[in-house]
Amino acid sequence: MRGYLLRRLPSALLVLLGASFLIFAILRLVPGDPATSLAGPDADAATVAAIRERLGLDAPLLSQYAHWLGSLLTGDLGPSYAIGGQTSDLIGDGLGATAELTLAALLLVIALGTAFGMLGATSPRRWVRTSIRVVTTAALAVPPFVSGVLLVLLFAVVLGVLPPGGRVPFLTAPDLAAQYLLLPALCLALPSAAVLGRYLKDGIERALAEDCIRTATAAGVTPRRLLWRHALPNALPPVVTLLGMQTGHLLGGAVLVEAIFAWPGLGQLAEQGLTRRDYPVVQDLLLLLVAVFVLVQLLTDLVYAWLDPRIRWE
Amino acid sequence: MTELHPSTSTGPTRRTTLRAAGGGALLLGLGLTGCRSAVSESSSEPKGAGAAPKRGGVLSVAINSDFTPGLLFAQSGQSYQHRLIYNTLTRYDDRLSPQPELATSWTYAKDGRSITLRLRDDVTFHNGRTFTADDVVFAVKNLQNPVRAAQLRSTAAAITGFEKRGEHELVLKLAHPVNNLFDLFEFMIITDPDTIEDALTGKKLNGTGPFALKKWSPGSGLSLTRNDRYWQPGRPYLDGVELRVIPQADALVSSLRSGQSQLSFNVPGKSLGTVKNDPRLTITDYDTGSGASYIGVNTAVAPLNDRTVRQAIAWAVDRDRILAQALGGYGLASAAPWPKSSPAFSEAHRTHYTHDAGKARELLRSAGHRTLELPLLHLALPGDTAIAEALQYDLKQVGIHVTLQPTDPATGQKKLISQDMPALWTMGHGFSQVQPSTLAVSAYPFNEAKNTSKYRSAEYTEVVREAWTKRESSAAEANALHEKISGILLDEAFIIDLVVRGQIQVAADGLHGVTLNKFSYLNLDNAYLA
Repeated sequence: MRGYLLRRLPSALLVLLGASFLIFAILRLVPGDPATSLAGPDADAATVAAIRERLGLDAPLLSQYAHWLGSLLTGDLGPSYAIGGQTSDLIGDGLGATAELTLAALLLVIALGTAFGMLGATSPRRWVRTSIRVVTTAALAVPPFVSGVLLVLLFAVVLGVLPPGGRVPFLTAPDLAAQYLLLPALCLALPSAAVLGRYLKDGIERALAEDCIRTATAAGVTPRRLLWRHALPNALPPVVTLLGMQTGHLLGGAVLVEAIFAWPGLGQLAEQGLTRRDYPVVQDLLLLLVAVFVLVQLLTDLVYAWLDPRIRWE
Repeated sequence: MTELHPSTSTGPTRRTTLRAAGGGALLLGLGLTGCRSAVSESSSEPKGAGAAPKRGGVLSVAINSDFTPGLLFAQSGQSYQHRLIYNTLTRYDDRLSPQPELATSWTYAKDGRSITLRLRDDVTFHNGRTFTADDVVFAVKNLQNPVRAAQLRSTAAAITGFEKRGEHELVLKLAHPVNNLFDLFEFMIITDPDTIEDALTGKKLNGTGPFALKKWSPGSGLSLTRNDRYWQPGRPYLDGVELRVIPQADALVSSLRSGQSQLSFNVPGKSLGTVKNDPRLTITDYDTGSGASYIGVNTAVAPLNDRTVRQAIAWAVDRDRILAQALGGYGLASAAPWPKSSPAFSEAHRTHYTHDAGKARELLRSAGHRTLELPLLHLALPGDTAIAEALQYDLKQVGIHVTLQPTDPATGQKKLISQDMPALWTMGHGFSQVQPSTLAVSAYPFNEAKNTSKYRSAEYTEVVREAWTKRESSAAEANALHEKISGILLDEAFIIDLVVRGQIQVAADGLHGVTLNKFSYLNLDNAYLA
């Protein structure tokens, strides 16, 4: 496993370096800059020039890029241009909120996806299987900005049992935090849970149709043991890869869901940073997201290799 | 007989399903009912409702963009916290007459070259330090720094000397008379010089206002707590204020409708219909006229260098339809930039151009054109896009085919400042809600020396400078100058005003005593939840 990991690391680092260059270049190609954003619509050229000088935006681009890479290596990300405060604090706060939301959504994806998959594949009742098919189709078809609004209308405005938005950090007050977390996490989780459920259902059905399962059934192995010890393990490896990919989707989807539920995470920070051309915040944030994707992919491959030894021997 | 082939399914048994369901219900129940309810926790009304002012409660204000420390000294779309944490020297009443705040009285020199301010001597900052004349000197010098991007910098820069007469009396000396000094006094927040750097990073906002900063959580908003040493006895009534960032319009409306927030000024026009139908919410339209929608015309682009063509555009647009469809009916359809509360307002100017497609076509023909193809830049935001589409339709009716150029706000702003706009653009401007001269010296689109329309005229420069620097001896003289400015703006049509907008307040029924100053700084000195 260690050798496998070492073989994968250089390419991951190369991806990060390439991404840093692309992020820097693309941001500079986009018209508008932090100085004009800060100066406001009624500013004159002298004001803009003074702000640009203060932010160091008058330096050559290559030196700005080198300065950024240096700040990444030293860990001192510097101040945000437009939002205010230290970039590392802003990203740290947002990361905590997004991680909380993504993790809760991931747990829901696993719980709901497993339930959808197992019941869909094995329930003896036709109405259960049909209901799951309808629910997963709806969850896939309805985009989060629609399901989010519907969830808010039902649970916050009509029933008034859950808050429509906002966040209480989980470590501050877990009971309140769970209530703030439930709707956004559910909204974020539903499409991925549906995908996972359908994939798992197909996997279990395929596994249950294998000759070895029939042999085991004939030998008197109990249905529960057949499912948990034989069918499920065979269906899992591709599902784990899918779950890794869905984690990426969850992170991406969180951007939209955070806006609907006023969840102060990285999505909101990215939107705010981009709107104001806050280069330090946007650059560091995008690179962090690339790093998370790379890491998730790496972890997925490691888990896959652990589940299927043939992979790590290749 | 032993059963070899299972007759039951391989799926979970009824017992395990029920167990799982029960466990799930238990978890959900714990979250929803077993502990505190997040819904009732966020309800901040004090116990015991009544009509008289009540002490207590935390007011939750829904805002659509976060506080930006870098814009602390500029007016931005989010200046609500300015008057909560800080005070200003004076404030205008509804008739634009200055009223005391940290300055108790003032005397203008006869030549208009200096003003003597007497200041309150019972005011302390949140950290306990006493407010003195030095803080006013710092505040003025601070706004003179271009890095602060204060829109009223030109007025602050006219103050060239300070003479302290004790700790609470100060003479401000002016390079030349300016007639919008009280705009500056209402705009300029009084900050603590020692903590200015912390203020600009949002760490510490030390003011003299009714509320002190508890915490700024970027992306979430500001949490403020009552200043027990506030100089107004018995005020504020509220224990605290939460400014909560809710960027998405539907979420913001849901927050108000579910009672999670009790106040907002950021409900977009199209959502006001929903709000109007909710009996628990009240809409108030402030006639501050702090914003206006307009068409900007690049006078360097042919054939828009011809005034007749610009006037044709001004006749072609249906301002009432834009008001009804894009702005929810709140605002004032007007060809001139002034709100009703402005001394420059006149009904004749407001209706100088009305919707008259026939007249627009006639003017175009007289200028030698039957059809025109022009680009129209607009900000890619829902409200701005709706206005741009309405303009596109109106102009098409008279033969002007415009191609929409949706642009993100940062790019739009850069193009505006660098005079890089296409033939036509539509945006918003401010600064017509205070002294009329401020519009032409502080709002870039109208600036006499340099504006995005690239419009220059000696007559305009002369009248603007005169209106700004001359102390009028009478109301009639002032009116004559306002009349001249309006006349040039309407005749030359390099900025074609569409709708003058105030602030639309949506508040829960139990909230009373909320006011805004002319720069949309929220004043909650007398606010209470009943």
